[in-house]
Amino acid sequence: MNNQIADGELAVEIKGVSHCFGQQRVLNDINLKITAGQIVALVGPSGCGKSTLLKAILGTNPPSEGEIIVDGKVIDAPCRNVGIVYQHYGLFDFLTAESNVAFGLKLDSTSLAFRTLMFPKWLQLRKQHLQQSRAYLNRVGLEASAEKYPAQLSGGMRQRVAIAQSLILKPKLLLLDEPFGALDEATRESLQMMLLGFYQENLQAKAAGRTPEYTILIVTHELNEAIYVANRVIGLSRFHDLADRGAMIVYDRPCPVFQPNEPKDLEKFVAQREELRRAVFDPAYVKHYSKYVSFWSEVAAQEAAVAGIR
Amino acid sequence: MIRRPIPTWLVYTLGVTGVVVVLAIYAALSIRQTRINPDQNIFPGIQAFGEGFVEITKARGGENNPKPSWLNVDLRATYWRLFLGLSSGVLLSVVVGIMMGSYTFIEALLNPIITFFAKIPPTAMLAIYLVAFGIHLKMYVAMIAFGVFFTMAQSIYQAVKKDVASDHIDKAYTLGASEFEVIFEVIWRQVLPRVLENLRLQIGPAMVFLIAAEWAFAGEGLGYTIKQQQKLQNMHVVYIYLAILGSSGLFFDWLLVQARRRLCPWFGE
Repeated sequence: MNNQIADGELAVEIKGVSHCFGQQRVLNDINLKITAGQIVALVGPSGCGKSTLLKAILGTNPPSEGEIIVDGKVIDAPCRNVGIVYQHYGLFDFLTAESNVAFGLKLDSTSLAFRTLMFPKWLQLRKQHLQQSRAYLNRVGLEASAEKYPAQLSGGMRQRVAIAQSLILKPKLLLLDEPFGALDEATRESLQMMLLGFYQENLQAKAAGRTPEYTILIVTHELNEAIYVANRVIGLSRFHDLADRGAMIVYDRPCPVFQPNEPKDLEKFVAQREELRRAVFDPAYVKHYSKYVSFWSEVAAQEAAVAGIR
Repeated sequence: MIRRPIPTWLVYTLGVTGVVVVLAIYAALSIRQTRINPDQNIFPGIQAFGEGFVEITKARGGENNPKPSWLNVDLRATYWRLFLGLSSGVLLSVVVGIMMGSYTFIEALLNPIITFFAKIPPTAMLAIYLVAFGIHLKMYVAMIAFGVFFTMAQSIYQAVKKDVASDHIDKAYTLGASEFEVIFEVIWRQVLPRVLENLRLQIGPAMVFLIAAEWAFAGEGLGYTIKQQQKLQNMHVVYIYLAILGSSGLFFDWLLVQARRRLCPWFGE
């Protein structure tokens, strides 16, 4: 079986990114490549610079050194190629679910001048946008709530709409910033399964020779969640031999791939969870920073192996 | 018990009871005063009110030279001043408030001045408007506009800062918005209900400034007529004018609540 993803089209490339707040160095020489179709989890102790890295990729706070390249362009401001779903403030209060999802199409494909001066044309286009929006809501299982406002939706529903809202623009990379942190266990699991479904769609797309649609970097503090939803886990931490220079990527390994409806087999990830906890979260365990980091060729090979086992 | 709910019929019954009690107290005062002095006009009776109403609503002048009724003239004068003053004040404060909430440069530049001017009573500022415009429509418009502008610009600026999270703005950029679209499609839409609420709250103060200024300077308008009729002890006319002020206030309030429900159904009550 040759449906591995690591050798695909590059979605994002992070080259030598470091970040300082005044004298304090937070991130040191981060290098990372994510290919189209990967679902990557980013974990790390609180205060290790996860948010800083995320904001750098999003473009709101460009890094002090190095660059982040998406779709051949250096990211220096938020743009339509990098989508984001926050834990809170996901949706615009004043738009219905349907309009929230269609909002990106409106902002990205038309201008205010077009919408006012070419009003009849805009109305036609709007109809198409709403149809597309419905299709995406359907995909996240929320077509019935299309006309509700965010205040009328539950936390889990809101996050589904927020994911649809970001996906509709088909960003090269979708950032999920602790997206399920405020949800109850059952809702959280159903959303995790949605992500597993996305990964399966990626594999199908890849097998059919298409570019996979969903490339996701999910920040989470739940190790189980990281291993469960992602096909690759990255750990960011200061607990390594160059600690005084700031946090680095100390862990980068593929992880088992689950089917959406497969029972969560804890046996499958208990060993990796322990390894991850020790490598990323244990302040007493000082090691060479690259001990648990796979080289790019290895990421590819390991993913191929995982895919082969399945 | 605090906040214990009561049945709907009781809510309405109590509301009506309040009105009836006030009317009853007035009637009692009126009857008592008439007993003391049959010609009294401090608490006029129903008949006097009827006469007063006819007097202020009947067309004046002869057949060759018809003039509108007093009430017509006063309502037009007062509400035209109010409309021009409020609309220019609100328009200016929306633009300035949103700009201050959006751009730190403008915020730093304007915040101290606006905070300072918001503390000067607008009726005191009349001194300036009188010198600048004389007793003219412009004077009233300037007084109302600047009277509401400073406080309203402050609260819209606060609303932008509080109600529009930076995450929302970044999110809009990731959805392909331009800077102008962020202001127009995100910030403006998010603060619109606050603008309507503020407008509702500012009608009261605006009327205070306007009636006071009309009382002092005007040759027509509700404030002017109330002063004149009070001098003549024509309380039956004064009360009608007060009732008109009260009901038009209620009407504008209702209108703005309807506007908010229609334009911002997401905002709730």
